[in-house]
Amino acid sequence: MQVPVGVKVGVFSLVVMGGYSWFANSIPQIESKPPQELSLEGGNVTPAQLVKAGEEIYKTKGTCEICHKIGEKGTRAPDLAGIGSRAAKAKQGMSGKAYLIESLIQPGAFIVEGYPPIMPAVDKPPIALNRSEVWALTAFLESLGGTVDVTLSDIPETVGGSAAGGGGAPAPLALPGDPKAGKTVYMTKGACLACHKAGDIPGTPVGPDLSQIAKIQTPDYIMKKILDPKGMGTVSGFPPGVMPPTFGQTLTAKEYTDLVAFLLTLR
Amino acid sequence: MNSGRVVGRSAFAAGLLLAGAVVVLSTLPAEAQQAAAREPAYRDFPLIGSRLAVWAVAQLHLNFAAFILGVPIFAVIIEIIGWRTRDARYDWLAHEFVKLTFAAFSTTALLGALLLFLFVGYYPKFWTYMTSIFFPTYWIYALLFFAETFTVYLWYYGWNWLQGPRKWIHVGLGVLSNLFGTAILFVANSWVTFMISPAGVDESGALTGGVWAAITNFTWMPINIHRLIANVVFGGTIAGAYAAFRFLAAKTDEERARYDWMGYVGNFVALSAFIVLPFAGYWLGREIYAFNQTMGITMMGGFMSWLWIIQAILIGILFLGSNYYLWLGMERIPGAERYRKYVPPMLIILTIGFMVWATPRSMVVTLDEARAMGGTHHPLLGFLGVMSAKNTVVNLMILTTFLSYILYRRANKLPTKPWVKTGMAVQWAAFGAAAAVVVFYGIYGYFVESIVRIGFSVYQVLAVIGAIVVVMAIDVPMFKGARSTGEIRWGTIAPRSQYVLILLAVTFTWLMGLMGFARSGIRQHWHVYGVLRDTSAEAVTPALGYAANMITVVTLAFFALVMFIFWLGGLGEKGSPEGAHGHAAPVLAGGSDRDA
Repeated sequence: MQVPVGVKVGVFSLVVMGGYSWFANSIPQIESKPPQELSLEGGNVTPAQLVKAGEEIYKTKGTCEICHKIGEKGTRAPDLAGIGSRAAKAKQGMSGKAYLIESLIQPGAFIVEGYPPIMPAVDKPPIALNRSEVWALTAFLESLGGTVDVTLSDIPETVGGSAAGGGGAPAPLALPGDPKAGKTVYMTKGACLACHKAGDIPGTPVGPDLSQIAKIQTPDYIMKKILDPKGMGTVSGFPPGVMPPTFGQTLTAKEYTDLVAFLLTLR
Repeated sequence: MNSGRVVGRSAFAAGLLLAGAVVVLSTLPAEAQQAAAREPAYRDFPLIGSRLAVWAVAQLHLNFAAFILGVPIFAVIIEIIGWRTRDARYDWLAHEFVKLTFAAFSTTALLGALLLFLFVGYYPKFWTYMTSIFFPTYWIYALLFFAETFTVYLWYYGWNWLQGPRKWIHVGLGVLSNLFGTAILFVANSWVTFMISPAGVDESGALTGGVWAAITNFTWMPINIHRLIANVVFGGTIAGAYAAFRFLAAKTDEERARYDWMGYVGNFVALSAFIVLPFAGYWLGREIYAFNQTMGITMMGGFMSWLWIIQAILIGILFLGSNYYLWLGMERIPGAERYRKYVPPMLIILTIGFMVWATPRSMVVTLDEARAMGGTHHPLLGFLGVMSAKNTVVNLMILTTFLSYILYRRANKLPTKPWVKTGMAVQWAAFGAAAAVVVFYGIYGYFVESIVRIGFSVYQVLAVIGAIVVVMAIDVPMFKGARSTGEIRWGTIAPRSQYVLILLAVTFTWLMGLMGFARSGIRQHWHVYGVLRDTSAEAVTPALGYAANMITVVTLAFFALVMFIFWLGGLGEKGSPEGAHGHAAPVLAGGSDRDA
């Protein structure tokens, strides 16, 4: 039987395009997610929590890693290893944290010799960090070989004024969960208090204190951490592999969203 | 009733529909626009979501638009060749090409209108903002669309009427329709490029200067030029694939010869434009870096870096396919046997170039493998993953492809000029010098900072362009009046060559979809980069696998639509050996060698 030309050509085209799709699916799959807003204003944050939040911003929303490396000389931007101690000597008459803050929000004010003036102001779109995020990022940079002493009042109040861009702030995250029911899950079925303290709920300090978890972590992180504790890493200073990976199976969808809603009230 | 006329009327109606829609939206009273501003920022498209709906329609619209804008550019050139040489074959071919365009015209306009409605309905806040910037251009766009529709209509239906002494009027209509089409492209590009590299607005997004400042943003002219060239390549490949299909389905030798020739011309057009396309791409890339370093680095070194590996594979296939088609084509040219010895070395250069270009900088490895290698960069192959290596091989591949064309061009010709030896020596010297410059700067690039290295690509490109100009400047007079070794045996080419033409069309269409994703994806979670944030639930820029699946689905839909439209357009020919509108189909079997 003679196969019609249209069929032959159609099958040939399908195989070609299928091959391209197959290849594109077989290489690293990286999504670019819109960044979440972090707010630390008005709360008590320990330097360690601040540094952790800053490191997260450094690797994600701040897009710093595109040009800067830590412990490796870059061609586009300086190595940031030891910047916490070097910063104080970078510009005469300027403290280390003041230099770091200036480098973030007015990067053109001082250019390290040998590098092009390509760094964008991090509090302006498209990076558009807010004041809390610049604070946390500065703390993280100070922690690279120096002492973390930056406070929120060191960050100019004007920082992040245009962070939202003309289109407004990111869409608020609307969670359907009930925080009150979530608190019950936390204390009963979830048994979270066995390892975590959370505000007025006491707990054994096997895992980190969650009293201000909503301030220092994004909703996205909290939701993923419950379902995939190993995949999201272990907070420094705590034993790995302790948190059960089974909440995705043991909690119902309602219990899960209620629990997340409760954790998001811990500020 | 003649189906061509039906298609023509629907094209006319669709063109008017799109222009009308733009006019109506342009004249919305201020209160209506204020009411629109109070509307929700987004609405949900049923089942697939708004983003996929806009993605699919936008890609389809761009595919059709590229085709109907690209084909007339070379159709009018072919018509002029036929007019000046008085060779009816070219007039027939130009008419065939325009017929394909004409059949796709209405679908393009309908998809454009559909895209507009999707924006207005599902992204009202975004569209209100774009209107606040580009309102005056809507009028220009609508007027240009009217002008384009009327001119193309006259050009196609006036083909027989404006023959003989009135042919210059007909050619003028073809030129005019191209000018209108290009102007439409430039207007639409101003909207798209503003979204990538906004200009003329303050931090809040308000227009500070005139609309001209927003139009002439960083990426506007580079994308204008890049799309103009790419449209010609695309038009050439689609026309080539159409000819290939007709060749494979042909019942007679005459028909096979005719569509062999048409396929050859389509591929020739595509290849000629394709060779210069990377240079326009360099310019566009440079302007993106000039606009915003972060965007440029995100594009080339950030989450999109693997996209360029896929692009490299696609372009490598285009290079290999184009050359293979030329080599197969030489088998039907008496006298071409003497050039067979050049094919293996050319194949080696293209294959090595392909492999180097497709080598990633960072490998996909397990943790153990990464430890063993000392990182994600392979100790040897990692050096081939950087721009120095890639720029070098792509320029060598362009030079090799040009050499293939030169050999094809002279396959059945023996030059008779007394200065042939000198001419040939200078030509080879030009090839050698260009290759030496390209390789020198490719190696030197490893020893300098990136900011210096970027500048080297300009020298490499200039060396290749210089060689092409010098070789052609010698080749044309050298082979003028050359002795023929035999006529091209049109229609006797191996059938697998026709699948190569189809491969080129499918690959280039897929590549266009991929580049559309890159252009749109580098904005990440911004509708207008740094100005208007995408706050929808679908603001995530998807991974490459997801994007590739989407591109494949839309490309399939595009080819299904194209086949249906061409079938519809060809209904008028049924039972008419003369072809549509009385255009005599030329007899080419064993025919002339007076091709391009």
